[in-house]
Amino acid sequence: MSRIILFFFVGCLFLNVTMVAQSVIYGTVVDKYDNPLDGANIVLKEKGNVGTVTDNKGRYSLMLTVKDSCTLLVTYVGYKDVERKIYAGQGQSCCLDFVLHEDARKLNTFVVTGTRTPKSLKDVPIVTRVITNHDIEKLDAADIEDVLQSELPGLEFTYSMNQQVSLNMQGFGGNSVLFLVDGERMAGETLDNVDYSRLNMQDVERIEIVKGAASSLYGSNAVGGVVNIISKTNKEPWSLNLRSRFGAFNEQIYGALFGFNKGWLSATTSVQYTSIDSINLKNEGVYNKIYGNKTWNFKERMIFRVNDDLKFTARAGYFFRERNSSEIIKERYRDFNGGLKGDYDICDNGTLEVSYSFDQYDKSDFHLINDKDVRDYSNVQNVFRTVYSHTFYGRNILTVGADYMNDYLMSYQFENGGNKRQNTIDAFAQFDWKINERLNMISALRADYYSESESNQLSPKIGLMYRFFDCSLRALYSRGFRAPTLKEMYMTFDMANIFMIYGNPELESETSHNFSLSAEYPAGHYNLIFTAFQNLVDNRITTVWNQALNGMVYTNMSPMSVCGLEANISVNYECGLSASLSYAYTYEKMIDGTPLMTMTRPHAATLRIEYGKEWKKYEFNCILSGRILSELTTEEYVSMTSYEQTVKQTYPAYMIWKLTLLQRIYSGVNLTMSIDNLFNYVPDYYYSNSPSTVGTTFSLGISIDVDKFFK
Amino acid sequence: MNFRSVFMMGITVFLFPSCEGVFDDVYDEPQNENNTEFGFVDVNGNKGTVYIDATSYSLWTYIDFHTKTIDTVSIGVGTEPPNWDVAVHRYDAKTNGGSVLQTNLVSLDDVNKISHVNEDHFVSDVWSKIVIDMSGMMDGNIIYSESYVNEVLSKWLDVNTATMPPVYTLSGKVYLIKLSDNTFAAVRLSNYMNDASVKGFMTIDYVYPLNLGKCQE
Repeated sequence: MSRIILFFFVGCLFLNVTMVAQSVIYGTVVDKYDNPLDGANIVLKEKGNVGTVTDNKGRYSLMLTVKDSCTLLVTYVGYKDVERKIYAGQGQSCCLDFVLHEDARKLNTFVVTGTRTPKSLKDVPIVTRVITNHDIEKLDAADIEDVLQSELPGLEFTYSMNQQVSLNMQGFGGNSVLFLVDGERMAGETLDNVDYSRLNMQDVERIEIVKGAASSLYGSNAVGGVVNIISKTNKEPWSLNLRSRFGAFNEQIYGALFGFNKGWLSATTSVQYTSIDSINLKNEGVYNKIYGNKTWNFKERMIFRVNDDLKFTARAGYFFRERNSSEIIKERYRDFNGGLKGDYDICDNGTLEVSYSFDQYDKSDFHLINDKDVRDYSNVQNVFRTVYSHTFYGRNILTVGADYMNDYLMSYQFENGGNKRQNTIDAFAQFDWKINERLNMISALRADYYSESESNQLSPKIGLMYRFFDCSLRALYSRGFRAPTLKEMYMTFDMANIFMIYGNPELESETSHNFSLSAEYPAGHYNLIFTAFQNLVDNRITTVWNQALNGMVYTNMSPMSVCGLEANISVNYECGLSASLSYAYTYEKMIDGTPLMTMTRPHAATLRIEYGKEWKKYEFNCILSGRILSELTTEEYVSMTSYEQTVKQTYPAYMIWKLTLLQRIYSGVNLTMSIDNLFNYVPDYYYSNSPSTVGTTFSLGISIDVDKFFK
Repeated sequence: MNFRSVFMMGITVFLFPSCEGVFDDVYDEPQNENNTEFGFVDVNGNKGTVYIDATSYSLWTYIDFHTKTIDTVSIGVGTEPPNWDVAVHRYDAKTNGGSVLQTNLVSLDDVNKISHVNEDHFVSDVWSKIVIDMSGMMDGNIIYSESYVNEVLSKWLDVNTATMPPVYTLSGKVYLIKLSDNTFAAVRLSNYMNDASVKGFMTIDYVYPLNLGKCQE
């Protein structure tokens, strides 16, 4: 009998069911594979405060009191919204199941980097680019460098001095782009930024990229942008993923990701090992060999729910990298990190976050001849933070917070291998004001104080988002700064008995005023995003030759302008075909007319074409992706010690294409095959900004979700 | 106090380490060069190691295998000692009227296996230039001095300055040195830096005297 009633009501729903004032609607929310979606929101569209969420089996139940027809809206992060119209009628319960499909445009994906509070991508007033874990899998990316270069035009990772990885993101070097992991800074530096190999892609939920200055929320280094890597959080009772990847030059990657969830405690454990042999490059260049290395990466993250209002998140991590830089020494890099964060819902509208974070990044040389492992660099950062967010009228959010950081640096680049320390303190406030359904304004102000440079920095931000129909227009002004590092202030380094490099305690902070305009238009299968930006950069920090000291000295540069355009068009068809094209144009200019030395290629584009098809027990995706970078012509000084004569230097254009085939066999086994550098591009000469490729290579990966065999 | 409280306290204590970092015990302390003994170390019969400070571009370090002593002389200032066998300046090497043969051996333990050497293949020193001041390199002003150099023995370390920083590659080979008194020494450069990775600290393993009398032509 109950089944008859059930079928009756389900049938009625398809025929626009009429319902009574008191109705109970229940059912399940699943994805296309029939997997339950835990935490999906089911709300009455006409009354945003009436709703519920699904449990870990995707079930929900909702009691409604409606007289007229209404619309049930189901939303879930990363999936397309689904709406169903229901009508008031005679009171009975009703089963209503939903199947959600992934949203390639990611408009429902929640992001936190732009505002420091969770907002869906379509509602966030700051332009944010999101790369999900699905994207990373489709890219068959071995590391963060692969991921970002494949997705963002105008972003180039290259090798610099001593084969340390260096970044250029549309005119901004690595030290002007802030990398965060779950909102936390990373200690240590290689040459111009953090050690990118610490960023394990295995446990990444998504990567959020905010281009432009963001110091009003994140302080120093957020001049050219912020890259925030968000870790996966386990929601299943348990999960286990095992993966491995094999590539050219004996590249091997092995990883395991274990998740556990038992109500009050959930935990995620990640272990990854990678290794690759040294690569002898095919042609001459400023470097002729890429050193082999191996890494270990371990991460543990636990969420402890004391009650409905109080939650603690504890984390710990260990990273180890060993580089075969010579036959008698292996360079070693280690990181120890941990943190504890408490989130407390003080009231219905207010959440307090208090956190402590520790990060230690060490460098040492392991001498094979006597088995001695001697440390010559250690950067230790201790950060305390408190952030309070309050929501007014259900839609306006005030966020206030403060940080204290103790930064300790011991380095071989200081006199007698000494050490320095610095204290940093800041306070910030941001108001995210949703004026009406169409207009959203965001404003923020942050004050930072640095003890060693005795520098005060005030960083404002103001942004507007206006929506009409499906189109979103965003305008933003924000200030960014980069305080001089301890290394840049106090370095005294003998460069191979050839010359000295000196720090400069009188350095000013690098600053940038960033203006951007953006338009986003999702229309049916298409999505268009267009952004124009202008950065007025002053006091950029670099080294210049000082004849009196017979060495290089850190100095502030003259003002410069970095402006550009970005355009992205993507299309997704139900038949499984999708494509995305992104283009970036960057123009740099020294405002006082002095010669511009740059490594920024003016034109860059990325392209991805994908076709996929799925059956119950088999699915495949075939992806062709490419990076196209234009030629670069720049001025270069003839001599490193005299700045009177320059010469034009041209770096050739190049493009790299990759073909990837992903196959899902049954529900838990995924096979990935890739051909990288499809058209066998090899640089005639390896400049510092040439791709470090030796031609076409192949890779094979397998990933097994063990838990799916038991579900 | 229940389990949850203990659990949280434990995590808090674990995550509150020193401001100057943790796990110092993971690392070794570097050798203090101020208290380091240079010269002949670890001498055992006719085998041993010579450890010298060749960080300066303006010094020659003279090694005397006969007396197991070293002597350091400033270029252009001092005079070379009356008795010496091999001298080292940075990574350059010269002999005192001797000659050198590069072997294919990579361990001094194997020198006893040498059954035959052709003295015609030994190479004598040549008059050459050595760098004595690099401080003006960025201005193109490198200062040289003239000296004898043994180009074969100097192959014990290849320094490729085409890349920055330079790439250092040890040959790892054993070199036979015929000294001016017709005795033989075998040497192998096993390291060119100290524990703190400062380049120019040379660790030279040697065998002297080396008995090659039965196998000479």
